[in-house]
Formats: sequence, C-alpha cells, structure tokens
Amino acid sequence: MTAPVVELLNVTKEFHGNAAIKDVTFDLMPGEVHSLLGENGAGKSTLTKMIAGVYEPTNGEVHYMGNTVEFTSPQEALENGISMVFQETSLVPSLTVAQNLELGNEKLLNRLRGLYISSQQFLQSLNFEVDPTTLVSQLGAAKKQMVEIARAVRHDAKVIIFDEPTATLTPEEKYHFFQLVKRLKDQGVSIIFISHALEEALQISDRITILRDGQHVITDEVAAFDRDTIIRHMVGRNLTDELYGDDDGQARKSRPAGKRVLSVQNLSMGSLVRNTSFSVFEGQVTGVFGLIGSGRTEMFKIVAGILKRDLFHGGEVRLNGKPVRYRVPRPAIHDGIIYVTEDRKLEGFFETKSIAENIYSGLVGADLNKSKVISYSEMAELTKIWTERLNIKAIDNDSRVIELSGGNQQKVVLAKALVQRPKLIILDEPTRGVDVGAIAEIHAVINELAESGLPVVMISSYLPEILSLSDRILVSRLGRIVEEFSIDEATDEKILYAAVH
Amino acid sequence: MMKLLPTGFMDRFLGRGSAALTVPPLDGALKPNNLLEELPKGIAATAPDDIVLWNDAPLWSDAGKLVSQGGVLVEMSSDITALAVCGSNLAVATLQDGLLLLDSALQPITPEWSAPIQNITALATASDNDLWYCTGSETCTPTEWRRDLMEMNRTGHVGRIDLTTGEVRVLKRQLGYPAGIVVLPNGHVVFSETWASHLVEMSPEGKVLGHVFDEIPGYPGRITRRIGGGYWLCIFAPRSPLVEFVLREPAYRKAMLKEVAPEFWVAPNYRSGASFSEPMQGGALKQMGVLKPWAPTWSYGLVVALDADFIPTSSFHSRTGGRRHGITSSMEHDGKLWLTGRGSGEILNIQLQTEGSKT
Repeated sequence: MTAPVVELLNVTKEFHGNAAIKDVTFDLMPGEVHSLLGENGAGKSTLTKMIAGVYEPTNGEVHYMGNTVEFTSPQEALENGISMVFQETSLVPSLTVAQNLELGNEKLLNRLRGLYISSQQFLQSLNFEVDPTTLVSQLGAAKKQMVEIARAVRHDAKVIIFDEPTATLTPEEKYHFFQLVKRLKDQGVSIIFISHALEEALQISDRITILRDGQHVITDEVAAFDRDTIIRHMVGRNLTDELYGDDDGQARKSRPAGKRVLSVQNLSMGSLVRNTSFSVFEGQVTGVFGLIGSGRTEMFKIVAGILKRDLFHGGEVRLNGKPVRYRVPRPAIHDGIIYVTEDRKLEGFFETKSIAENIYSGLVGADLNKSKVISYSEMAELTKIWTERLNIKAIDNDSRVIELSGGNQQKVVLAKALVQRPKLIILDEPTRGVDVGAIAEIHAVINELAESGLPVVMISSYLPEILSLSDRILVSRLGRIVEEFSIDEATDEKILYAAVH
Repeated sequence: MMKLLPTGFMDRFLGRGSAALTVPPLDGALKPNNLLEELPKGIAATAPDDIVLWNDAPLWSDAGKLVSQGGVLVEMSSDITALAVCGSNLAVATLQDGLLLLDSALQPITPEWSAPIQNITALATASDNDLWYCTGSETCTPTEWRRDLMEMNRTGHVGRIDLTTGEVRVLKRQLGYPAGIVVLPNGHVVFSETWASHLVEMSPEGKVLGHVFDEIPGYPGRITRRIGGGYWLCIFAPRSPLVEFVLREPAYRKAMLKEVAPEFWVAPNYRSGASFSEPMQGGALKQMGVLKPWAPTWSYGLVVALDADFIPTSSFHSRTGGRRHGITSSMEHDGKLWLTGRGSGEILNIQLQTEGSKT
C-alpha cells in the first residue's frame, strides 16, 4: 500500500477554548477522492482548513508527503501543492476572470491579450463556459464557483480540497465538474470533497469520512455506505443528549396553534428564495431547519424588510391578513416584526458601545423612547430590567459589548430586540457561538415568549435545538419550504432526509 | 409615478396585489394527511349533497331523494340542494321548487314566501321558526357552481326567513357564492363566502363584523357545529394557481366557457382524474409512474375542525389521486362525524376519538 499524501494525526482545533475538531485522525491517499460528510458545524471546513494552512491545529500533527508540516498561510500550502476551493468565494471581484486565474503567479508586467487567450483555452479544456474577459463581480454564483475550481486546477495542485463545490451548479455543470474530478484523479491528484449532497458523495468518492460534533465517526470504502447509513452516522448523537436532556418516552406536547399571524405565499427573491409558501401561528415556536444556502435566512429577511423580494411576481407576505411589503426594516419594526440576526458581530450590535447604549438603541430604533432626546435615566432603568431578566453578566452596564462573552453578547442582542415590543419575533441561529449555560437561558426565554402567546420563528442549523424547542418544524431546501413536521412525528433522520433530498 | 397609474394596471404589470397568483399553503393544522382515504367504504349514493340529524339518525339528500340508513324516505321532483331541521319540521331546498317545508311525517306544509327564494346552497336554523339561508348566485343554480366561479359572479346573498309568516328578508347582497352558514351561540352568523375563500361573521341585523377565517387554501362550503364547541368546515374543492391565473385572463376564460365542454374546463371540481383529456397543470403529475402527492389537482377532500374562535385545530384530507374528494357537508352525532362524499358517491363516517376531536 502506498503512503498517504496527507495525514492528520490526532488533531484538535480550539477556538477560544471550544473545540471545533477533537482528536481527529484522517488520511488521504494519492489519486483518491475522499468525501467528508457531516452536519453543519460538524467541523468539515475546519478540518480541511488545517490542511490548507488557514488554521494551525491546537494539538496534533499534519503530515504532507511523509513530512511534518506547519503551513502558516494558504499561500504556503498552495506553493506546496495543496489548493482549496473555499465555500465563500475568494476571488477578487474587480478583476477579470483571466486575471483572477493568473493571480498569485503573475509577472511584474503582464500582457492581457496573451492572458485572455491562454485562459480561454484553459477554461474550454475544462468545459467551463466562462468568458475570461468579464469582471468577476458580474458573474453569478455558479460561474464564480467554476472560476474558483479552475484556479485550483491551474495551480497544478497535488491535493485539491473542494468545499461544497456543487451547491450552486446546475446539473449540466455538475456533470462537467464530475468529469473534471475524474480527469484530475487519473492524473494522480488527490481530492477532498465536502458536500451536503449525499448522492454526489456516493457517486464520486473512493472513501467517505463522517464527522459529527467535531469528532471522527467513521472512515470506510464507499461500498460500505448507502444514504441511510450515512445519515445515521451523521446525526446519531450521544454527546448532545447530556446537553439537551433526553426524556425517554416523555414526548413533548406541542403548544396549540393560535391565529395565523404571518402567511407567506409564493415568495421569490433571485435564485435564493424560490416560490416559497408557509404560515406562522400565534403561541408557537416555529422551527425552521435547512442546510446553509437553503434560503431560510433570506425568506425571513424579506419578511422583516431587510431584503427585497423580486419586483415582478415576487409573491405576497401577509401579516394578520393584510398584505405587507417592506422596503426597509423600519416600518416592519413599527409593525412589530423583529428579526434577530445570526451574524451578531456584523448586524447585531454596536460593538464599541456599552450594554446600556445598545439596549436603548433598540428602543430608539423602534421609536418607543418616552423622551424626545436621549434620556440616560430611561436607559439605565431599561438596562436594569433587561440585564436582570436575561441574566446578562458583566462587570457593569457600561462595559462595551465587544468585551462580553458570546452568550452575553447574544443576550444583549436579544434584549435589544425584545425592548422593541415584538408581535412576531424571528430568531436566526439564537445560540450560535454561545456557551452551554447561556444556551439553556436563551432557550428558556424563547419558551417563555411562545407561552406568552407570541409567534416565534426560530431558524437553526442545530437539530437538537430545533427538536427540543419547536412546536412545528419547517424544513427548507433550495429556497423553498419543502416539508412540515409536527413535533410528535419529527426525528433527526426525517428532518435531515427532507433537507438533503 | 406609481400614483399616476391605476393600481390595477400596476398590479398586473408587476404581478402583485390583486394580480398575485398566490394560493395559501396547506400547513399548520391543515397539513395534509390521508385520514379520509383510510376510512372504510361508506354507504353508496349517486349525488349526496347535504346531511342532517333527523329523528336522532342521519338523513341525507341524494340527488332528488331523501335517504336515511333505512332507505329512501321521499323523492322530490328535482335535486335537493340543502337541508335543515327546524324543530319537528324539515326545510328542503330544491332546484326547481325553491324552499319547501315538510312536517314530521315528511308531508309538505310550505307557507307562502313573501319573496321567491332560488338557488339555495345552505340553510341554518336559529330557532324553530327562524331560518337563515344562503343563495349562491342569482344566475347559476348550485349544480352550476363551476360556471358561477368562472363567470366571477358576485350575485349571492344571505337572508333570513320567518317560517310562521313566510317573510323573507335579504340581509347581505353581492356576495361571491355564499355556500355555508352557521348560527353562533351569541346569535350572530358566520357564512362562507366561497369565491373569496373566507368566512364572514355577520350580526343578526346584517352588519358584517369581519373575517373570522381567511386565506383558506380551498373553496369553503358548509359549516356545522361540533359537539363540545367549535365547528366543522367542509372545503369542497381546492384552489390552484392555474385557476387563479385563468380567472385573471377574461378573454381566455370567456372563450373557454363558450367553446369547451364543462368537464374539461380549467376549473375545480368535485372529482377529477377520470379522463386523460382533463387539463393538466404545469408539467408532469407522475414521476416514475407514481403520482406525486403534491401534484396539482382539480379536486380534493378536506374537512377542517375549527375551534370556537374559528381557528383550525385539525383536519381530514384526501389528497391528489385519492377518491374521497368533494366533501360537501358534515354532521356530528354520537361520536361519529358523518360526511357526504360527492366525489366518490359515498356517505362516510369517521369514528371520533373524543367528541369533536380528530381520530
């Protein structure tokens, strides 16, 4: 047997003390297609980023071609023949396709004409129909992905890591992509393939490795797997039972649905939200599950006026029976639709302001402040109520939000939303990057909100969270709500099955 | 600039508002199941329409006949379109003779009505001598409901009849095919305005108080009381984006009404799938020879349990490819929910687990 090209020995990667990857051993043979599968947040990207030099492992060793290596940058890894196609595209939008392909090994002076001709030939050899003279910023997601793939191939890499390459490709483009993978394989290139599409993984891989909660579950030849066994390995969780408490046989009863508050019909936005229809009812937590890129966040951002639906035949959003269409969030906030963002650092708070100022800013944003000017006494009073209610822990209320832990930051964002007196609250990933103790507290708040009769929408990628909190579960896939489960029929397997098929 | 142009034009141009071809989804309590399909075979009937409790037993109409479990009791000269029990008497609405009143021996005792009453789609009793009625349309009979939908008529009305004096009062006009009515405990009524797909609450004086249930994904028909509070609503046909589209295309619609045989109209129906000549909506209904459960359908079977505030709590379905479509009326009695299945030509009954609840 030949020696593996890449070998990871007992690697662990911690972010601020939280292990994203725990003690994982992984190897990649020459000329092999090796699929990495797992749920969102299972650690697939983190693992491959350690190979590609984006992250350095906290513990453990990375071997490449038999030597221990410590790449400090992706550039260094690339020079050594490891190329990674990132999930978030890493192209320079203001350069043309050809320039992007050449980027990294450009000369001091470049002749564009020659560059375009060679790029054209190269792209055609891959069967990718992209015009090399167009600016990358003008390309669609699929074309960008193709350029990204082409760039990885062009660098004559010995190892190519594809992180969800096919998510945005059409079936025909996928076919060309798979042909390309086969050609690369025949040339002796080793490929790591990360995908949510299990069929694809089964189709093109030689071996499959499954990760769950940052831990290695199984590695085996592709023949040993079928779709069902993969899903079972992906979701079967023992770790999280401790966290969420599995009351065996004690089936949770769902809260009865109240009035229909939100009715979304045929809503469309570009290729991200496609003719989706669903309803949200009073007094219930409506859990929305979907893989990343399935459009669940976008659907609700349209409802809250953060994004705009298609102008032509974009569908209808009805709030309490009345059609509404918000172009900006402000009127939505006035109508009581509050969206709590998943990306709190970017959209959730003013990071250099204090807790008090942040909570008060929510009140001012909704025009609910009593005085016409900023009132520090009102701010202090408000902050006192909400820090107590949500148990926000800080040295004092004047500490800056950026200094808080993830859990406390999330609580500030939640407090900021709740002071706006929501009539419909949309929580996007309410416990992402939040410690265990704060998760339990945030969950208690969510339950309290639903019991007080409020319609609550909870978007989450984390299945146990969905299962332990929701009364109804909606599953989104490819920009559309494709399945609804009541809590007594929902299982991990069923939800994931609906999300990937 | 938008203000300068008429909203109708802008809506049509942008495909929004009144021109949005949207149909609400079947979700929440209306989530599809197969409960109607799984019921055992019912009592055969040719065209069952309405069912009531008469002498402590179900009594239903089958075309022109009044039938009980014992057999045919009376035969009318034309089809029966609605039934109601008023104390010891039975009110029977027929196609040709309008509203008739029968006594306990089913002999006619019809008084002289102060105004002619035609095309009755539903009846509800407020007291022994006080009857509410719905006239679906002034131009189309209840058997021609599909034509009424396609002509987009708004000529239905809801009225009240005093059975002792024969006085008829029309309380609300210009309705889109009212086809179901129920009297609330507080004396108000709720009727279904079918072509608008909502239920309307109205005071006894005829003042509309609002919509108690709107955005219904089908065409709501008769409403009956649930034992223990709440109501049963029969939704006799599904809405579909294609029908909504055809309704917004007047030239096509008028040509279709004129030139195409009614059974092949692009319109909902009590039953469908019998002929390959029926119009299909948007591509394949079948994949690998299997009918897709979400395939667009012209007919559907749906009975919804509503609570006292008209919020749906559960539902019984017969989906695409099923037979128990076109459920036109319901009646709860003795732990069973009796249904008239127009699509399959059956009188069905569902054994309810607890009174008024889902099995």
